[in-house]
Amino acid sequence: MVRSKLIEPSPEVPLPVAPEIDTLHAEEFVEELRCVADTLPPRINLDAQSVEQGLAKLVLTLIEFIRRLLEKQAIRRMEGGDLSPEQIEQLGLALMKLEEKMQELKAQFGLAEEELNLDLGPIGRLV
Amino acid sequence: MKLYAYCVTEELPAGSVDSMPGIDGAQSFLIQSGNLAAVVSAVDVERIDVTREHVLGHERVVRGLLSMTTPLPFRFGTVVDEPELRSYLESHHSSILSQLERVRGCVEMSVKVIWDLERIKREASEMEEAEDPHGQHQATNQSGTAFLAAKKREIEGASLLKERGEAVATWLMECLGDSVRDAVMNVQPSQPLVLAAAHLVERGQLEEYRAALGSAREARNELHFLTSGPWPPYSFTNINS
Repeated sequence: MVRSKLIEPSPEVPLPVAPEIDTLHAEEFVEELRCVADTLPPRINLDAQSVEQGLAKLVLTLIEFIRRLLEKQAIRRMEGGDLSPEQIEQLGLALMKLEEKMQELKAQFGLAEEELNLDLGPIGRLV
Repeated sequence: MKLYAYCVTEELPAGSVDSMPGIDGAQSFLIQSGNLAAVVSAVDVERIDVTREHVLGHERVVRGLLSMTTPLPFRFGTVVDEPELRSYLESHHSSILSQLERVRGCVEMSVKVIWDLERIKREASEMEEAEDPHGQHQATNQSGTAFLAAKKREIEGASLLKERGEAVATWLMECLGDSVRDAVMNVQPSQPLVLAAAHLVERGQLEEYRAALGSAREARNELHFLTSGPWPPYSFTNINS
């Protein structure tokens, strides 16, 4: 179980000392980092309710992603001039109702806006 | 017996971790697999609670290793069986060696930046006003056309914020120049904490890095910085998958 070979650290390479933390705005960072910590996912708890909410979160995240794509596409078409004023109005109303429906669903499952996202690792976040 | 895994390293002197008490004060020891070694200690639970003492116990061992070599730290809370760990080391041997090569002789330095988000948003809003002096967005919320116009402004505002946030990250990298071997940057333009960057810095370059960072901080008074390190290369390690 025990290693046997010895490696001597190179003399040109200084060994690190204890980490230093340096800021002139400690309170501000403590507050921000606390907010970040609060949004970190807790350990996975596989009870029926958390599974249901996890599934709802995943589905709503994907719907939210598609909803935002639709909005961008609608704006592109509006700016491109290939929609009549009536069509723009109808499209806008449909997207407005979709957004309202999403708000209702988020409230129903107790999900905040910032929770509807997926961390895709090196390529960033989904929404 | 369950093992709490702290990190993986290359060659180490025999008994080099004997004086490093880990989680709950348990004695650390090495599990060898070819030319790799995992640093572990025995635990009698399946799950390690996230407590200050446990986190400091993990950090104490990894930092102890950092004074001898550059380890690849496991994520906090990694509990395994010995056969499982040996199998992992054997099957991921070449990938672990590549990662060790990447971080060899380096430490991680952290930079977090807070910007004045409200001011940036105000500036973005003023730019939009200048571009849209007739204020289409004054239409009622009940109008589909007004809804789309408002969305357009929202998207443009988010896009402008993203550009500005990425500009902060790019500027910082330019300031640090060759003192950084690699970087992992998380830009969150919609948040006050706009940038969380981890820099992989060769130990011999630390002074140069600190001097460059100091100059950068002085040059941008409107940005608030929190710098820390040296840390083990947590952000440049992927040995938990």
